Amino acid sequence: MENRFFLDAGIPPLHFGSSLSSSPMSDWQSLSPVMETQSQDCFPTDYGLQYESALSSMVSSPAASNCNMSSESLMMSTPLNSPPKLNLPVPKSMGMNSGVADFSADPGFAERAAKFSIFGSRSFNCRTTQFGPKDNGEIAACRFDPSAANVKLPRVSSSPAIKTLAANSQEESTVSKQHPEPGFKGPNSRKRKAAPKAKTNETSPSPSPNSSKVIKPNEASNEKRCKLSESNENENGSGKAVEEDANGSNTRAPEPPKDYIHVRARRGQATDSHSLAERVRREKISERMKLLQNLVPGCNKVTGKALMLNEIINYVQSLQRQVEFLSMKLATVNTSLDFNVESLMSKDVFQSNNTLQHPIFPVNSSAFLGHQSQQNPPLHGNITNGTMTQCSVDPLDSAICPKLNTHLPQINQFIKTVPQYPTFCEGDLETLVQMGFGQNQSQEMALHSQNFQGSNQVSDMKVEL
Amino acid sequence: MYNPDHTKPGSLKSRFTTRFLRALSKIHAHKPISSSSPTEMFQRYQRIKAAADKSMAYSVRSRRTWSRAMLWKLRTRSCGRRSVKTSTIIKSQQAIMKKTRHEKQNENTTTTATTGEDGVGFCVEEDELREIVPGGEAMDLCNLLDETAHYIKCLTTQVQVMKKIADFYSL
Repeated sequence: MENRFFLDAGIPPLHFGSSLSSSPMSDWQSLSPVMETQSQDCFPTDYGLQYESALSSMVSSPAASNCNMSSESLMMSTPLNSPPKLNLPVPKSMGMNSGVADFSADPGFAERAAKFSIFGSRSFNCRTTQFGPKDNGEIAACRFDPSAANVKLPRVSSSPAIKTLAANSQEESTVSKQHPEPGFKGPNSRKRKAAPKAKTNETSPSPSPNSSKVIKPNEASNEKRCKLSESNENENGSGKAVEEDANGSNTRAPEPPKDYIHVRARRGQATDSHSLAERVRREKISERMKLLQNLVPGCNKVTGKALMLNEIINYVQSLQRQVEFLSMKLATVNTSLDFNVESLMSKDVFQSNNTLQHPIFPVNSSAFLGHQSQQNPPLHGNITNGTMTQCSVDPLDSAICPKLNTHLPQINQFIKTVPQYPTFCEGDLETLVQMGFGQNQSQEMALHSQNFQGSNQVSDMKVEL
Repeated sequence: MYNPDHTKPGSLKSRFTTRFLRALSKIHAHKPISSSSPTEMFQRYQRIKAAADKSMAYSVRSRRTWSRAMLWKLRTRSCGRRSVKTSTIIKSQQAIMKKTRHEKQNENTTTTATTGEDGVGFCVEEDELREIVPGGEAMDLCNLLDETAHYIKCLTTQVQVMKKIADFYSL
């Protein structure tokens, strides 16, 4: 809640303005003497982180600001101080009138800025105990629950209700007075907000005079961070954000991983949110293209995304056609064989094909092998016709071969891409040899010999390829 | 050189192999290949292809968008028109995606070449890829490339296993 006061800029806090403006200002006023007497140990250092998280969450969820001018003025003076102060919706003395006058005036404002900058460095790391048990609950609630910022609003509003109307009216006037300023200071507030964030990251909370210097180098990065958080929240890439963080796009601030990606703009590059988000996206895409390059064979030489995509598309299409062809082939397989899962899953079967050849059927196999050795190198449609004439023509042949011929042009295409495809011919006999059939072996061999003629066309299918 | 098909019992390859072999045995048991009419052959081919796709998609479960899309496609094909509602929902989503992409493209084409080579969007090839990869219509380019990589990996596994099986049984 209090953070929202800081971050949202330019929205006139009319409805809440009076109440909310009063509270921080009164707090400020009251705190100034109080803080001096304050002992250390006010807020823990982790509050800074929570503050940041609250900040970032506030940035990402732009809500109507209720106390812009006061918050911004506070911000400009003591960014580190304001959170603790705003935690205290305590109706303090009515000396706020003078405070308000001072508040609006720049020189007095600068005075307090200087004063509270000192307090800021001290109190930021302190836990305030003096603010009373009544506040502790609120403080805890306010501090540790930035997401429930909306809930806190009524609480803040209720406390100023205690104040007098005169005070409220005067605050309203001050509110109206400072309207032009918030709009002007909006971006500055955001930057200022970011600056302490960066400062706390660097663990060197320097007083505000230095903040202006710190702002500029960090400005771009923090703006990016803030704005990227906005854009990336929509992307909902929390998982990818973590991945992106791990992969790393240049130097990133060591912030705890949130739901959005923190990216630092590189030197000489645009820093607006759109180009940043686009750059992140482009990097992701190029990363994945590299992975795909490793998967798709023969893509190393190809440069350029369009060509790469073409290659990928061709490869996927060829794989799909291969699957179709193999399923067609399996459809024509002679089912007298047993689809014995165990035998298939045995080690021998799934060993990759060696180059050894043990002809089982001396006559037929040698002829077959001779066949193969002739046919293997030139895998063309012409050869299929040649082999066809050599076999006994079954009706099955005629049925199958036309289909195969239609597949051939496609096969030729992917044969070039899958050079290892022809080598299975040698492997077939191999598998026969290596298969641990057991009792089925003799039977199957008989089957094979019987069906050799019938299965010739099947082998021809292979050879054709 | 040895395929670790058996050493990693939970690997994609072994999962696919067992499923596919079971499906094959079912298909062959259902209709032994006595008759050899082309239509029957074609039917059988379709069944085997569907079995291969299904077993691959089941091996991947629902971890991937493409597997979910493929399973859904196969189910709707087999179940007929039962899931018309979901199909219309998905189609509307796809239509929305296409619309947004076309809008993007319309913005892009004014500034970039239409061949698709530009900094941010790849118009033509991207669309082709979406058509090829199942479930690719409703994804942005980043996720699409992810899915493509996984899909390629699974396809190569499928091809390897089917090749071996075909080799084994084609003699």
